[in-house]
Amino acid sequence: MREEHNDASPLQPPTQVEAVPPSTRENGASEARALGIAFAGWILPGLGHALQRMWGRAVVVFLCVGILVLVGATMRGNLFTSNGSDAFDSLGYVADIGSGSFYFLGRSVERNGADVSHAGGDYGTRFLATAGVLNLLAALHAYEAARGRKA
Amino acid sequence: MRMKPLEAAKHELCVAVMLTHIQSFLLFAAVISVAFGFLGRRRPKDRIKYILWSFLLFLLVGIGIGWAMYPFSH
Repeated sequence: MREEHNDASPLQPPTQVEAVPPSTRENGASEARALGIAFAGWILPGLGHALQRMWGRAVVVFLCVGILVLVGATMRGNLFTSNGSDAFDSLGYVADIGSGSFYFLGRSVERNGADVSHAGGDYGTRFLATAGVLNLLAALHAYEAARGRKA
Repeated sequence: MRMKPLEAAKHELCVAVMLTHIQSFLLFAAVISVAFGFLGRRRPKDRIKYILWSFLLFLLVGIGIGWAMYPFSH
């Protein structure tokens, strides 16, 4: 009579139970990758999408954020710095730094400083803040896409 | 005195752009609509539809708010 092979035989040594299930490890790795992609998208607008081969979105984000920063800076909008005097300045800085490396591009373009004494400068300030917030939205979108959520 | 190429490029970039209110408004609406369309929709046809709708709504809301504020300017 043939003996059936039984994995749960008491004669066999018990297999070691892993401390961390593979699915949890994979989740952790994909979460870290998603965060890295979001960070890359923040530093260089469009890079988060480009790393996921979403070329159309990458190009559009890069161009839209770039156009907003360039137009805003050439209109002499206010690029806030980290040493703002009040809460609105700090909020403005958070919005502006959202455009990542393009913040410094804006600073290099705007060599003569901001001039909000005319309407154009004020519009420029809005363009710069919008560029930052749009880039943060794009980075969040890239993060969600990297996590496998519908995007 | 001749400028170095990098300085010349920076000087050219320094030219101030002066857009009127309506030009700024149209540029803003167009750029944001395109970005929203590409981020929010996947198929090209849906994107175009979304971009056009978004742009139209930006214009309507902007002009509407402008007219709503008009009495306060007098």
